[in-house]
Amino acid sequence: MAAPAQRLSAARQNWHRFSRNPTAVVGAAIVLLVVLAAVFAPLLAPYPGHVGAVVDFRARHHPPSFSHPFGTDNIGRDIFSRVLFGYRVSLSLAAVVLGIAVPFGTVLGLAAGYFGGWSETVIMRATDIALAIPPLVMALAVTAVLSPNLLNAMLAITALWWTWHTRLVYSITRTLRHREYVEAARLIGASRAHILFREILPNCVSAISVKVTLDCGFVILLGASLSFLGLGVQPPTPDLGTMVATGADFLPDDWWEPVMPGLAILFVTLGFNLLGDGLRDLFDVEDVR
Amino acid sequence: MEFVFFLIRRLAWSLVVLAGLSVLIFLIARVVPGDPARLAMGPRASDVQVAQLRAEMGLDRPLPEQYARYIGGLLHGDLGRSLLSRRSVNDDIRETFAATFELVLATITLAVLIGIPLGVAAATWKDATVDNAVRLVAILGAVTPSFFLALLLQILAGYELHMLPTTGRMAPSISFVPDITGLMTLDALLHLRFDVFADALRHLLLPSLALAAATTGQIARITRSSMIDVARQDFIDAARAFGIPARVRIWKYMLRPSFVPPLTILGLEFASLIGNAFVVELVFAWPGMASYGVRTILQKDLNAVMGVVMVSGVFFVLVNLAIDVLVGFVDPRIRITGAR
Amino acid sequence: MRISVARLLAGAALTAMPAAAMAKTVVTLNTVQIIGTIDPAKISDYTDYMASVNLYDGLVGVDPQGRLVPQLAASWDVSADARTVTFHLRPDAHFQDGSRVTAEDVAFSVERLLKINQGPANLFAGVLAPGSVTAPDPATVTFRLSKTFSPFLATVPAIRVLNAKLVSANAGSDDGQTWLGTHTAGAGAYRLESWDRGSRMTIVADPSYYRGWAPGAIQEVRFLITNDEATVRSLAASGELTMTSQFQSPDTYAALAKMPRMKVVAGDTATAFYLKLNSRTAPTDDLHIRRALACATDYDTIRQQILPGGALDGPLPRTFAAAYWSGAPAGKFDPDCARREIAASRYAGQKPIPLTLAYVSGTKFEEEIALLMQANLEPLGFKVTLQAEPWNRLTELATKVETTPAVAEVFFGPTYPSPDSMFFTQYDSKAAGTWASMEWVQDPAIDRMIEDARGTGDTAEQNKLYVALQQALFDRQSDVYLLTQRVQHAMDKCLDGYAPVPMQSFDYYFYNYRWTCPAK
Repeated sequence: MAAPAQRLSAARQNWHRFSRNPTAVVGAAIVLLVVLAAVFAPLLAPYPGHVGAVVDFRARHHPPSFSHPFGTDNIGRDIFSRVLFGYRVSLSLAAVVLGIAVPFGTVLGLAAGYFGGWSETVIMRATDIALAIPPLVMALAVTAVLSPNLLNAMLAITALWWTWHTRLVYSITRTLRHREYVEAARLIGASRAHILFREILPNCVSAISVKVTLDCGFVILLGASLSFLGLGVQPPTPDLGTMVATGADFLPDDWWEPVMPGLAILFVTLGFNLLGDGLRDLFDVEDVR
Repeated sequence: MEFVFFLIRRLAWSLVVLAGLSVLIFLIARVVPGDPARLAMGPRASDVQVAQLRAEMGLDRPLPEQYARYIGGLLHGDLGRSLLSRRSVNDDIRETFAATFELVLATITLAVLIGIPLGVAAATWKDATVDNAVRLVAILGAVTPSFFLALLLQILAGYELHMLPTTGRMAPSISFVPDITGLMTLDALLHLRFDVFADALRHLLLPSLALAAATTGQIARITRSSMIDVARQDFIDAARAFGIPARVRIWKYMLRPSFVPPLTILGLEFASLIGNAFVVELVFAWPGMASYGVRTILQKDLNAVMGVVMVSGVFFVLVNLAIDVLVGFVDPRIRITGAR
Repeated sequence: MRISVARLLAGAALTAMPAAAMAKTVVTLNTVQIIGTIDPAKISDYTDYMASVNLYDGLVGVDPQGRLVPQLAASWDVSADARTVTFHLRPDAHFQDGSRVTAEDVAFSVERLLKINQGPANLFAGVLAPGSVTAPDPATVTFRLSKTFSPFLATVPAIRVLNAKLVSANAGSDDGQTWLGTHTAGAGAYRLESWDRGSRMTIVADPSYYRGWAPGAIQEVRFLITNDEATVRSLAASGELTMTSQFQSPDTYAALAKMPRMKVVAGDTATAFYLKLNSRTAPTDDLHIRRALACATDYDTIRQQILPGGALDGPLPRTFAAAYWSGAPAGKFDPDCARREIAASRYAGQKPIPLTLAYVSGTKFEEEIALLMQANLEPLGFKVTLQAEPWNRLTELATKVETTPAVAEVFFGPTYPSPDSMFFTQYDSKAAGTWASMEWVQDPAIDRMIEDARGTGDTAEQNKLYVALQQALFDRQSDVYLLTQRVQHAMDKCLDGYAPVPMQSFDYYFYNYRWTCPAK
């Protein structure tokens, strides 16, 4: 382990490299903006009431204006306010899915890569099977069986998502398991848990964090696709994919109704992707997708 | 000989994946709360009618027996009866699969035709404006929700410019049944119906463009990095030293070996491509298996859902098998290191 | 514009169709769901019936007033005890393959329907049994009912007549279910030309149809399957669509009405739109809460802004004029009345009162109504949970009292042209447990009135019972009576002949439509 002073300078050096990477900086700025928008939505939204039980049938389909920057929808609600609150759903979706899938997938990947043999065969073959099902199709099938809402869709996505992290951690672990320092730890009698979590895991962190950042974007994208197909949250809670689907019926005249929430989705997925891309250059983990 | 072994091993592994898939799908479909027979019979059915159908479909048997029946059916290529359309799922999928297959083919063609040249350009002019532009296009392609891209294309090309049709596989005024391969474009050519061919192509363009965006980006990106990798290697320097012209160097020595990673990526991207097809087909009212899938999933038509997921899985496995074989053919080293 | 009429046809009244090579009168319309089946023993959805009424003929048809009109049967008579009905077939009636329609064919069709026991079979449960239908001679067919059932005649149009010889030749091992899933064997005005289940069906006029063809008749009908509003608009704009479904959004009708080629034809139907109130679950088990909901409904906004429709003041639409009770006061949005009723209920003082409101997911106007109700009810002290469910899921929830939501937005129209269809299916205990009966009324007094009306052959007596029924249901506030559906179709100005019919999809019988424009 490095001494504190060295670590500090390493951090400064990282920051220096980070700030000179335009992709990472732009990505980070977008992500920060979206997170702030979601957290402070009640303060920022011009019509916070339009997220709840409010209808205004006289103000339907108003085009973007000063008072409604993104226009109004078919119920007369302010789209901008609903987009801000919609980010809350998107971000919590990503947090829940990755919060469960990443630790789970990491542990399995460590086990498969380090122990090899029987556990490797079972775990890695399971990931192969899971990979053969498109996540969106899986989510649709599972939610059809349970009940069509975003929570069940999240569960379905989670049930597949761990496989990607398992494969990533597995491939790193396999290259590390015969390195000298791991062998040394084993020789001095370190426990398996110590070797897995203190010796090998730290070497996977940069790759995992790049992947998690990229994944945030993809999970949000997938969630939006699912709610676009009709598996959204309970109305009137705003949810970006549902807003696009609802608004699409009013094309081409009321174009802002699908386009504004659609751009909002694009904005956040772009942010996470740019950030992930930048981090990838920064950590020099070329093969993480 | 060694190629045959590789083939057998790869094939056996595909079978294992498919068997696992069948168990998974069956389990998902059979833990359903509710009564699929009542759903199927429609709201006006009497209890007697429902019980009759339940017995007919074997829904009253124990789970292992239902699975045995399901597998037995699968092995005979029988996916069971659709609760909703009240006929064999095979027929439903056979009728819709061709449309999806045509869309996917067009998508892959577009992705390769656009993606590889972009990647080559980016690698050739590395770190120049071209490279950055390609990178941005690749990222945008990957992060734009395909339903949103589909809508934007509809708005721009369909409503604003009235250039292209925004829904379906062919104009309602044309009566033509693709009765040879099921692929509208190909059958039109085989029947020498060039008007139908042109119409089918026009209908294909927007949906396949919307679907191709993500894959195109990935292909461009991978082509770029693998070309740069190859360019660093000694034999390229040797080729340069021997005075082999740049054109030949790029196409023969650099592009062919760099072809392998994009091909592999195509295999992996295929899952998300099928997934996105569900959304894109819906937006463009494309009468394919994916829109059939969405319809049946929302209606809890279990046999149909199992069928669609199973066929998607088989499709994925087969495409990857084909790609692996192709890669093994192009690059013999892969055969020795074995299946992924 | 692809639709044009042959000059020849416009000139003289012809009884046969012109040769196929000539320009055709074509109607292209969209349906919002696939046509599930064309087997007459299995049809159930509106799209199934839509194809069936054109591909097959029945003994009788239905007109916009709900009266029976001759089709294969030229006339019919009912015995004094109302338990024997005899139909006399047209001597010239023949199937599309040219063979004559005989009484044996009718008997065969009914036997097959009862044997397969799906689709329309439930209309005849307990009324017809195997052997009930006999053929004394080729032109006479007799129905012997198991019990007196006055609405029986109104259910006869659901029997589509099959060509017994043709079906038997292709019966296979499943009574021809496989074969009839993709072929037709009827005497209908139209033949099946092509069918791509996911996207379209094309049917063409049978030139030899036994009732002949009038000038301007529609020679080809194309059903396009799409429920996407934007698609419908773009197809209409490009001239590819002649007629829309009845389920487009108000915005789409408005947009299409502006197109010079199109007109919007509206008609009030016998289909009622209700908030069905589950009388066996909290809080709608309290009459005062049900009345409070009726008072808290903003009828004007719903009927004018969200879903244009006619007035509905009680459980029965006005279409059934002779049986209609005009005593119900018109529904009025009155929050004070709602407050008074809540105060009088046993949920008074409990705040908030939880209430579940279910509607069909993906149906825009239903969601808008749900949000409107929620916005009006929450200030009154309700906590409204909106439950958007796919239609099939909703029908599943409706099978049990405990899973039936307190409030549900549901359309119900008569399945046969008789008030009995409205009362029995929705409010009789014997019909409980379906999406149509989510009120769970289960009241012996109501059941008795319905049974009495069924058992009498005396129309005046029947109508008196129907009026009493409406009054009793209104007093119980069985539902919130939102509106009668005003069906709208945007269609080409040249197309004529649409009129609402109080039986599922019989208004899409294209034999009755005309193309009125001069030939091009």
